Amino acid sequence: MRTYERPEPNLAAVAAVDLVKVYGSGETAVRALDGVTVAFERARFTAIMGSSGSGKSTLMHCLAGLDTATSGRVLLGGTDLTRQSDRVLTRVRRERIGFVFQAFNLLPQLTAEQNITLPLDLSGRRPDRDLFAHVVEVLGLGERLGHRPSELSGGQQQRVALARALVARPEVVFADEPTGNLDSRAGAEVLALLRDSVRDLGQTVVMVTHDPVAAGYADRAVLLADGRIAGDVDAPDPASVTEALRVPAVGR
Amino acid sequence: MRAPVLRTQVAAAARRPSRLLLTGLAILVAAFVVYATVLAREITQRTAYDNLTTIPAAADLVVGGSDQPGTSGAVLARIRAVPGVAEAAGRGGTEVTVGGAYLSLWRDPGSGPLATTRLVEGSYPDGPGEVAVTRRTAERMGLAAGNTTGAAVATGERAPVSVTLTVTGVVEAGTDAGQDAYAPEATVAALGGPDEVDRVDLRLAPGADADDVRGRIATVLAAAGPDRPTVSTGAEARDREARAAIEHLDSLFAVVFMFVGVAVAAAALVATSTFRIVFASRMRQLALLRAIGAGRGGLVRALAAEGAVTGLAAGVVGVAAALAAGHGLPPLLRAAGPAVSSPGTPLGTAVAVVLGAVLLTVVAVLAPAVSAARVSPLEALRAASTTAGRRDVGAARLVVGLVLAAAAALTAYLVVTQLPEPGGQESYPVESVLLQLVGSGALAFFALVALGPLLVRPVLAAVGWPVRQFGPVARLAVGGIGGAPRRAAAVSVVVALGVTLIAGVLVGGDALRVVSDRELALRAPADLEAAAGADAALPAGVVERARSRPELVRVTPYRRVAEGLTLAPPGTAPAGAGGSGVSATDLDPRALPAMDKLDVADGSLAALGPGRVVLAASVARDTGLAVDESVTLRYAGRAAEVRVAAVLPDWAPLATGMLADRRDLDRLGVPAAYSGLLADAAGPGEEGRTAAVRALRQAVDGVDGVGLAVHADERDEANSLLDALIGIAVGLVGLTSVIAVVGVGSTTALSVVERVRESGTLRAIGLSRAGLRAMLTTESALYGLIGATLGLLLGVPYAWLAVKALGLAAPLTLPLLPLAGLFAALVALTALAGVLPARRAARVSPVSALATDG
Repeated sequence: MRTYERPEPNLAAVAAVDLVKVYGSGETAVRALDGVTVAFERARFTAIMGSSGSGKSTLMHCLAGLDTATSGRVLLGGTDLTRQSDRVLTRVRRERIGFVFQAFNLLPQLTAEQNITLPLDLSGRRPDRDLFAHVVEVLGLGERLGHRPSELSGGQQQRVALARALVARPEVVFADEPTGNLDSRAGAEVLALLRDSVRDLGQTVVMVTHDPVAAGYADRAVLLADGRIAGDVDAPDPASVTEALRVPAVGR
Repeated sequence: MRAPVLRTQVAAAARRPSRLLLTGLAILVAAFVVYATVLAREITQRTAYDNLTTIPAAADLVVGGSDQPGTSGAVLARIRAVPGVAEAAGRGGTEVTVGGAYLSLWRDPGSGPLATTRLVEGSYPDGPGEVAVTRRTAERMGLAAGNTTGAAVATGERAPVSVTLTVTGVVEAGTDAGQDAYAPEATVAALGGPDEVDRVDLRLAPGADADDVRGRIATVLAAAGPDRPTVSTGAEARDREARAAIEHLDSLFAVVFMFVGVAVAAAALVATSTFRIVFASRMRQLALLRAIGAGRGGLVRALAAEGAVTGLAAGVVGVAAALAAGHGLPPLLRAAGPAVSSPGTPLGTAVAVVLGAVLLTVVAVLAPAVSAARVSPLEALRAASTTAGRRDVGAARLVVGLVLAAAAALTAYLVVTQLPEPGGQESYPVESVLLQLVGSGALAFFALVALGPLLVRPVLAAVGWPVRQFGPVARLAVGGIGGAPRRAAAVSVVVALGVTLIAGVLVGGDALRVVSDRELALRAPADLEAAAGADAALPAGVVERARSRPELVRVTPYRRVAEGLTLAPPGTAPAGAGGSGVSATDLDPRALPAMDKLDVADGSLAALGPGRVVLAASVARDTGLAVDESVTLRYAGRAAEVRVAAVLPDWAPLATGMLADRRDLDRLGVPAAYSGLLADAAGPGEEGRTAAVRALRQAVDGVDGVGLAVHADERDEANSLLDALIGIAVGLVGLTSVIAVVGVGSTTALSVVERVRESGTLRAIGLSRAGLRAMLTTESALYGLIGATLGLLLGVPYAWLAVKALGLAAPLTLPLLPLAGLFAALVALTALAGVLPARRAARVSPVSALATDG
């Protein structure tokens, strides 16, 4: 029995309605997403959790306009992203979405500051100087702005990536395993910064992770298993999330 | 662990054969070029052999030839009488003058297998005094079928004999210079010219024994005297003739192969760079192999083996493609017109070229393989790829580069000190100086290869500034190139080599053109010239008659003083020695537009006037005179003082030593009768020229002693020869540029593969497909931009040095338009080379790009 949560356009920053994603065809077809319906509220830190193969990354890719779903709908604010042209999706990613990747993905030939303003440069916008200064200060990057990624530690690079996502003032920031390549201290720093951006800047953050500790930083954890919603935990902590993951989903 | 490592690499390569092809593309093109040149040489040789011989195919035996003495008419008759000889055709010609113009009268049977002419109009002559002319001769000399004209036959020692010639028809022969006529042997012999037969072509009667006939003819010849020709078979004689004709073709091809060699070296450079990229993108995999225990040596051997396989594939495909082109092109050309022979299939050379390709690729792959095998096994365990910031140029490379640059500068300085004085020295070792210059250029290029990465950023800063103004995508492209200066240098340096060579040809060709124009302006100042003999004068009325003809314009009469005129420094005694003889003319250089091409070494031509003269370089040198100095002219007792207005870099027009004003010659009492006149054709093209020639001939009215020259033909030939030479030279050096463009394309394609994650990131944060395509195409064009800039900076100064080193008294010119065209063409070509890789990169979805294993 599926709970059908009707997404309310006023509250949801991004929502999926009956999303299905199938890779391959015939005998080798894989249903990465099997009818997912979920809404993510504004100004909240939501974690999408699941073990590998649960479809969490696929869900994020579809929500962020990086991949197209087989059927169902994706709504970003009021815009229906499903079946939009690549040109429109590219615009959306440039102006309304921010990304933080596991592998940092900074451009090696640009300085930290150039990397941070890159999405804005691409759309020809100028960064909000006050926001820029604030983000740089909060993330502790003031001394590192002129350095190239090869001269920064892993934690510093991820913070630059986070700044890149925040300075553009997107509607949603998607983070894909942001602490995967960091040691526990740097990882904790980044998670705290993500949470603080929600509190201080009113940013909406959707984070994909398999780590219960990371999920503990979020306001809400949505659990995925075998391409379907398997649970929804409010105010998660590592213990409750681990417990929810162990128990098989009710009413499959 | 060798075999397993090799297996993994080969398996990886086999999965992506296109990657293999891309890496070896430059080698492929080089193999194609080398084998195509070999085939071209074969084609040229065979075509020459088949078409260039004047000996007809039906000739079984040939007596004499171009490199042997001739024989006489009596011997010819005796040869004809030898049993077994079906037909004997004597070859050779007699000089005849018709109305002052020269006409060559050649012997030819006119019909039968031994004829070399083909009748197209009228009938072939068979009676006394009858001749047939070629088409151009008929037009030029006004000798149509049915005309009769008087002629004078040159006889050598005695005075010319007057005869009457009747034109009975028009024939087509191998060449047509506009002054050829043909007649049977009996007719020619009867005219009374010298009794000389250059060559005899014989046809044997069916069933005759060739050796027997040969023996008999040898006996006949032996009786003729010690200075006699020999008998050879038709095949031998044709072979000898063709060999003589293509002798200089071989040295030409030697030059071609030299340039092909440069292109091959460029291909090796490109291959090294592309292998480096391929191995860099496989770093994680190689590190993994090292982590699980593969030794460094094993890795190097495996990578080198991969290089060998690439070279083999590239060589085979290149040679096959060249073979296809070499056999496919001649039939197409034959259908279109020119009779071009097909080449054979030199298998030995093919195998050699393929082996050479393998060897070249292995040599190219060694350095990248060694540095790739040095990867630390830990690289395999690093998840996020943070490229270690490598310094642009290591210390050793920097030192080597600086040493090379210093050596190049030193050698160039040596060349400068050895440059010839204007006016030419007697023993100027042109070859040695040019060789030193080439050496300096090579050293400079190697210095560029070594120091390239250091130069990339400054050049990029300079030429990238206008590109950066085009927006964030362009800035990303500039940043992308500047962030990998070693790779940019590796590719741009090959582009620079190509541009240097072409720029050298353009600058050198331009200087040569100025020299050629100047020579023509001196020798052929107008389309037509009518000149009396030395010290003679044009008969009265010629100039007026010429001026009255509408087919002639700018009729410019002149006087030419060959003897009796002396130059002496002012103040010397009027009589006696103290003065050197000089020839002079009062031709007005402003009257004829062709003389605009005259350049001066010093002074100004415009200053020529009463009391001012222009000297040839040799005269100025011999007398020690310079511009604005005074000199006394003496002629037949009279004297006049003049000043030097200008000194020419070479001779003065009409092969004289001095240009003077008409009034000065009058002052000296030079007779007022004209020595000759120059005129231009009024109408355009061949028609106008033929009409002008006829008009001038009529104006001269068949007066003896006045020679007519059609300079325009000479000028056209010289110009088209120069154009053809420059065109061929550009084509030859263009090979290297082709390889360079191929290099840019494959480098861009491979670096796109290497930077998939980067492309994915850019697409994820909002760069559109078109934007990504534009960025990659711009990067490709930037390689061309950097390379072309470096190429021009290196090529133009060296070209100037080469022009000066040739000792031709040529000016240093800068053909801006061709050079700008070269620059633009190369940037456009390199941009084009990046279009396909850019399209492929933009098609990859951001998700799969980001998921790629770094």
